[in-house]
Amino acid sequence: MAAVDALPDDVARVALDLPLRANLSALDNIALIPIYRGHFNVAESNCQALQLLEQLGHAGIALLRDPDMTPAQRFVTKLARALILKRPRLVIDRPGAMLYDVPYPSFIRQLAVQAEMTGTWEIFDFSWNQALYQA
Amino acid sequence: MNFLAASIESLGAKVVGWFTVGYGMFAFLAKAGLLLLEPATWNRATFDVVVKQIYFTAVQILHVFLGYALVISWLIITIILSTARDFGLTEFASEMTIRVLVLELLPFLTALFVALRSGSAINTEVALMQVNNELDALAHCKVPPMQFEFLPRLIGGVVSVVTLAGLAGLLALLMGYLAIYGMNVAGFEPYTRTIAKIFDFRIMAGLIAKCALFGLAVTLIPVTAGLETPKKLFMVPVSVLRGMMRVFFAIVAIEVVSLALKYI
Amino acid sequence: MNKLHFKVGLFAAASLVLAAVFIVYLLHARGFFEKTFHLQLAAASADGVAPGVPVVFSGIEIGRVTTLGLNENGGIIIHTEFLSRNAKWLKENSSFTLDKPIVGGAKIRVDSPDLRAPALPDNATMLLLTSDISKEIPALVERVKAILANVEYLTRKDGEINATLANVKTVTGRMTGEYGVLEGVLGSPEKARAVTDSLDKTRALIAKLDAMTAKTDQWLFAQDGMAEQTKASLAQVRLMLNDAQSSLKKADAVMANAVEISANVKDGTQDIAKLRAEIDDAVRKANGLINEINKKWPFAREPEVKLP
Repeated sequence: MAAVDALPDDVARVALDLPLRANLSALDNIALIPIYRGHFNVAESNCQALQLLEQLGHAGIALLRDPDMTPAQRFVTKLARALILKRPRLVIDRPGAMLYDVPYPSFIRQLAVQAEMTGTWEIFDFSWNQALYQA
Repeated sequence: MNFLAASIESLGAKVVGWFTVGYGMFAFLAKAGLLLLEPATWNRATFDVVVKQIYFTAVQILHVFLGYALVISWLIITIILSTARDFGLTEFASEMTIRVLVLELLPFLTALFVALRSGSAINTEVALMQVNNELDALAHCKVPPMQFEFLPRLIGGVVSVVTLAGLAGLLALLMGYLAIYGMNVAGFEPYTRTIAKIFDFRIMAGLIAKCALFGLAVTLIPVTAGLETPKKLFMVPVSVLRGMMRVFFAIVAIEVVSLALKYI
Repeated sequence: MNKLHFKVGLFAAASLVLAAVFIVYLLHARGFFEKTFHLQLAAASADGVAPGVPVVFSGIEIGRVTTLGLNENGGIIIHTEFLSRNAKWLKENSSFTLDKPIVGGAKIRVDSPDLRAPALPDNATMLLLTSDISKEIPALVERVKAILANVEYLTRKDGEINATLANVKTVTGRMTGEYGVLEGVLGSPEKARAVTDSLDKTRALIAKLDAMTAKTDQWLFAQDGMAEQTKASLAQVRLMLNDAQSSLKKADAVMANAVEISANVKDGTQDIAKLRAEIDDAVRKANGLINEINKKWPFAREPEVKLP
């Protein structure tokens, strides 16, 4: 935990304690960032967000809100939100807590392939889960 | 002796608490005001949230609100008119009606209406956002919550209360005319004279300022109360309770001060 | 199309339009689109007048006091402002009265007896009269007393009224005679009016005397007895009053005659002026008489005498 909290500013995190805005759709949650960080207009930002979701193979969840999503869908949205920050490092903090309905190491690996992003992805997990990643 | 010391201490704690709350509120307001001056604030996303806020605060309840204003106005006008007739003070009736309804009662009721409906909702939402770490998530993404979440609510609240109070006031003016002169244009001249006599520049500016302050009170106080919530889910009702009590005190205080400025 | 945005846009547009209409209406009501009309009122005292005091015409507010100031002679100048649409009620013969009712705020009342008279120019200065009811009551009482005193005086100096009447007759005779009529040149109507004025005054006096006689009667013939002496003196007073009244009636007739004559000849010049002076003198004396009666009146202050 301490290691995660001490991460510098240029790290995008996907974590349980960084939830989505509950009253916004997945698309709005993602598009928020280009609007405020990149000062794009709304249409442009929505377009970028939708593109990213399509790339991750989850374009269908664009209009769902947080409570209506499955854990996997929620994870994908959070991941997209982290990716659109375009930071050099991406840390996935204890994916097991978020992805309890899928075999998550392979799921993440598949997403990583689809994302085709530069930069490193790091997964912080409990040591007893290490065996899962060997498979 | 011990008892005395204890009560003085508790009094001191209360005073300090009130000062902290007041300071937090005004610091928040100052921050929001400064952000208003920044061009970066005026982007499409903020505007969208403002629009949404106005929709939920004003447009969605417009028909209910206007119906309610209609009934209240009609009742009060009828009461004032019949009382004035009984006491032989008919010439003061129209002025009295306008003063009571348009300047005092309707803005006050509008503020209460918006406070009960939107103020409590805002308080709950902000408290839940705080408890759920949503604000931390926004901070992590470097999305400023002030511009994205709070400022639009303040703007929406001010715009909504000013507009709703204005619409209700216009409706009351119309009702007053109909109640006093009936369905004809004969009373237009004297009614215009009465209106001209009441609404000088000072009164108009005071009315708009009062409504704006009401709008600010019913949104700013719930937002700050929500932000004060400790990160425990069971504290959300307590936060709403505190926030709504402060809103009530603030509304009454604004009304009392405005009356004092006008008539003392 | 975003339905939410459409609704909010509709709401905003409707509100803005309504607000704009109301503001234009308000500006119209407050006379923003009109020229203001200014009028200065000169007054002896600004007691009760303050900025904002309304100027009313027939009970309707048409203007307001804006500022108060002093002129170089230390007189008070009250500046008032009117909307130009209301300025038409201000005429050159309008009178301005400061009303201070016992209940309610002070106001300046405008009376325009003749609405066909020429309108007042902008920035004109008019005189402000004071009609303070509380000040007027004692003055009124004084005046009534004076009239009563005059009647008394006239009857006491027995025959004075007759003398006056004779005088009047002479004058009229002169006028109807060779001098007045023969030398009659067309004259000004003012002269005739002056006579009519005197006539009106006399008639008012007669009415007052009538009322007084009635009162005397009441006391005189009241069931509960009065001291014999008092009764006698009252009876005397009554007689005097009757006398005064009949004399005045005669004077009235003469004067009516005079007016007719003066109307006929359309000129009295010197004669009518003299006549008027004499009639006025008679009226003044009658007034003095009434005053005197009032002084001597035994029951003036305590009209009801209670007997054991």
